[in-house]
Order: sequence, then structure tokens, then C-alpha cells
Amino acid sequence: MNPILSVEGVTAGYGRVTVLHDISLEAGRFGNVGLFGPNGHGKTTLLRAISGLLQPKSGRILFDGQDIVGHSARAIVGAGLIHVPQGNRLFPDLSIADCMALGAYSPRARPHEAENREKVIKLFPKLAERWRQRVRTLSGGERQMVSIGTALMSHPRLLILDEPTLGLAPKIKDELCASVMDISRGGVPLIVVEQDIEFLLELTQQLYLVNHGAVATEIKPGESLDHGEIMSMYFGH
Amino acid sequence: MSALAEILFGGLFQGSLYAMMAVGLALVWTTIGVFNFSHGVFMMLGAYIAWQLVELGLPAAVAFPIAVVVMAGVGWILQASVVRPLIGRPNIVLVVVITTLAAGSLIENGALTIWGPRSKQIPALIAGNTTIGGVGVSLHQIAIIVITPLILAALWMFLNRTRLGLALRAVAQNEDASHLVGLNVTALYGLAFAIAASLAGLAGIFMGGYRFMSPVMGSDPLLKALIVVVFGGISSISGPIFAAYLIGFFEAACSYYFGLYWTPALLFGVLILTLMVRPEGIFASRSRGLA
Ligand SMILES: Nc1ncnc2c1ncn2[C@@H]1O[C@H](COP(=O)(O)OP(=O)(O)O)[C@@H](O)[C@H]1O
Ligand SMILES: [Mg+2]
Repeated sequence: MNPILSVEGVTAGYGRVTVLHDISLEAGRFGNVGLFGPNGHGKTTLLRAISGLLQPKSGRILFDGQDIVGHSARAIVGAGLIHVPQGNRLFPDLSIADCMALGAYSPRARPHEAENREKVIKLFPKLAERWRQRVRTLSGGERQMVSIGTALMSHPRLLILDEPTLGLAPKIKDELCASVMDISRGGVPLIVVEQDIEFLLELTQQLYLVNHGAVATEIKPGESLDHGEIMSMYFGH
Repeated sequence: MSALAEILFGGLFQGSLYAMMAVGLALVWTTIGVFNFSHGVFMMLGAYIAWQLVELGLPAAVAFPIAVVVMAGVGWILQASVVRPLIGRPNIVLVVVITTLAAGSLIENGALTIWGPRSKQIPALIAGNTTIGGVGVSLHQIAIIVITPLILAALWMFLNRTRLGLALRAVAQNEDASHLVGLNVTALYGLAFAIAASLAGLAGIFMGGYRFMSPVMGSDPLLKALIVVVFGGISSISGPIFAAYLIGFFEAACSYYFGLYWTPALLFGVLILTLMVRPEGIFASRSRGLA
């Protein structure tokens, strides 16, 4: 299978600070992709570059074979590459219903709005109970559900999740992990940044350790490591 | 009886004009996070364009809507030229104060060059006068009192009941998240400015129908709109609307009991006291957002 996304030699950063140094990786060849690594080493920055929120200084990002560097975030959403950002800040004063309507804003997603809404409600029945409630009044777990639900409303061809379980209580976290597994089983390929290695090992087929803005190690299917080995890679640097 | 009628009428009338101006200022602040100091100039320009069209022989019923639509274009262009290029820079709030002040002063002097300093007047919305509760009032002012809430209600419906309005409210709350659902953030910024400029232009047409116009006619209303917005809280558009009417009534009562001379001093006194107690404004909630 061809990779749905390939990042080729991307360098990017903020102002004069370079965060990503000639980073390359591929997604969709073997299934879901997991990114992990210490905080502050550029995982979020990479995702922002992929979704068009940040312009790389150099390199190519191919989505479905087409270079999307320089495309607007709107065009990238329009092509079906959907990014759920870290920290579920969302739209604090909009209702869940409003968020779902926004998710279906792009012309590509609009025709599937009703069908996708059904899917989201089936996946997160809790949201239906609070449909008219403002996002700011929801719990962290519920906000994360709204974030992911909004992304599903965008009819993703590739879904990128940035630390979806960050800061959630263990029970809520398990529920959310199960939902993410469901999404994957529904046929949407995923790129997931996570600190929880167990969850990544269960969810993904290919792992990248991101360190100092570059790929330090790639773990392909068949080379599956155990938790201990990964932890030593993590802290060995 | 006539005292009450006078205060009530004066308050509704001034409140309408303030609301019309303040709502545009608040719309731009909530969506883009900048203060538009050329907002008063929008008001002036709307009035002068209407005057020019009437002068060219168009009936008011045609000239006024055209002027309002032209102002939408002016707002869009101003946004694209002196606001959009600066978005994302540090200190954008201060920088945009300067660029919009500069653009405003340019337009003001342009108007002076084109139309000259002589005072002008445009036709009233409805000619004639009447008496209500012993107070003589013009039908023009009554028309303004009736039309303004309708327009504000329409704006509220647009923001709260349409998909495009939803998009504007979203941009006001989280720009990155707006990009990530595929909103055209730049166009929405332009739209916010276009709506604000249209409303200001309409306020100018209202004003030019009962008072003489001059190229600087927008500066006092801009100041009042700023007071309204600070007083009502800049986090929404409903706050400034309530505040506009409140201040309208306050001014009407003050000038009735203490005279026009004392009114600004009293108004600022109340404003300062309010901000000491509630720095975020009386009707404000904690965050930026349109509702
Ligand atoms: N908006 C920003 N402006 C400047 N520097 C930033 C910004 N966001 C992140 N950084 C810096 O970029 C580096 C990488 O951050 P990030 O991509 O968020 O890492 P991660 O997601 O792996 O924790 C950090 O050193 C961080 O301080
Ligand atoms: Mg991160």
C-alpha cells in the first residue's frame, strides 16, 4: 500500500527558532501510526505543519501523493486530512450542536452531515445528552469527545490526534481509548501522538520516536518491542 | 409626565445611535481582537455617500441602501489593507489602533477635499413632526427608534441562526480551531469589518437626517461607542447593545435634570466607578465571543 501521508525532510519552527530538523516519516503504509517521545521535542509542531497551521521552511508533505506544503489549512481540511489539536480548547462558548455543525462546514463533509452525526452520537452517546450545552461547561473527557466528534463530522480520510488522553482520569481515559479503537475499526487511518505507550502499542502498527525535532527510531510491524525496551529508548537519550 | 416622556424618548433615540455604532466595534473586536479607530469615519463616509447619491438625483429609498452596501465594500477593503497584513504580529492591538487611525484620518481629509467643509444634510427617513406625551418629536427620530432594534435583532438572528453567523462566532473564540474545521478565516475577518462598516454607515445616514454633517461628524460617536463598549463589556454584542441604551437613558436624564453641560462629566464619573467595581464591564462574561 502506498503511504497516504509522507513527510519528506521537513524543517520548521517559530520565528528564528527551528524545532523540526529535516524530519521524515510515512503514514498509512502499514496501518495506524503512533508518535511518541519526550515533551517539547516537536510532535505538536509537526502536526501543525502537516495541517497547514504552520509553514515549513523546507521539505515536502505529500497527502495522497500531492504536495500540500503552502496549501491553506482550509484546503487541507477540504482534502480530508483532519487534525484534532492538543488540549481540547475548542470553542468554549459554542454548544456541542454548534461544534458538530462547524465540523461539517467544508463542502466535502456537508453531504455526509446527517450520517456522520449519527456515527458520532453512537460513538459518544454522552454528547447527545448534552447536545445544547456550552463546551466550557463540559468535563475534560467530554471536551475531548467533542473535539474528536467535530473531526469525525469533517469526514476524515486521515485523522490526526494530538495527545487525546492528556490529563484524563484513568476510567475516562480507558473509555476514550476504546472509542479511538472503534474509529480505527471503522476504517479511518490514524496518526496518534500519545504518552501512553501501552495504548499506542495496541492501537498502531508503526511507531516513531521523535526526539529533538527528528525521528530517532522507527519501529515497523514485525519489529514489535516490549514496553521495557521502548521505555529504555525513551529515556536512553 | 412630559419629563418622563422626554427622558424616555431622548434615551431611546440616543441609545439607538450608540447601539448601532457600538455593535460594529464589538463585532470587530470579538472576531479579530482589534479596535477599529476608523469606525467613526465609516459613519461619516456612509452619510456623505448617501448625500452624494441623493444629490445625483436618486430617491432616498434607493440612495440609502446603496450607500450601506458601498460601505460594506469600504469596510472590507480597509480590513484587507490595514488590518489583515498585520494579523499574527505581536502587539497587533496597538499597531492596528495606529493603522486604523491613520486610515481614518486619510479618509477624513479625502472627504474634506472632495466635499468641502460646508455643512450638509440628507433627507429625513420620514419628514414631519408629531407630539407624544406633550413632547414634540420628529418622525425621523421615531423611525430610527423603531428601525434600530429591528436591525439589531436581524444581526442577532444572523449570528445565532445561520451557518455563516456560526462561523463568525467560532472565529471569535478560537482561530486555530477555526482553521482546523476549514473556515475561511480571512474572509470572515473581512465580513466582520464589512458588517461593522455598513452599520456605521447606516448610523451616519440616521444622523445626517437630523443634524448637519461635516467630515469630522464621526469622532464624537466613535468616542461614545468606545465608552459604550468598555462600559458594556467587549466580550459579546449583546452587552454593548444594553449598555448603549443604558447610557442613552442616563444622558437623557442627566441633561434633563443637570443640563447638557454636566452630562459628559457625570457620564465619565459613572464609567470610572463602574470600571473600578467591574473592570470587565457590566454585562461581560469572562471570554471573548459573539452572542
Ligand atoms: N507557538 C510557539 N512559539 C514558539 N515556540 C513554540 C511554540 N509552540 C511550541 N514551541 C516550542 O517548540 C518546541 C516543540 O514544541 P511542541 O511541538 O509543542 O512539542 P511536543 O508536542 O513534542 O511536546 C518546544 O521547545 C516549544 O517550546
Ligand atoms: Mg505536544
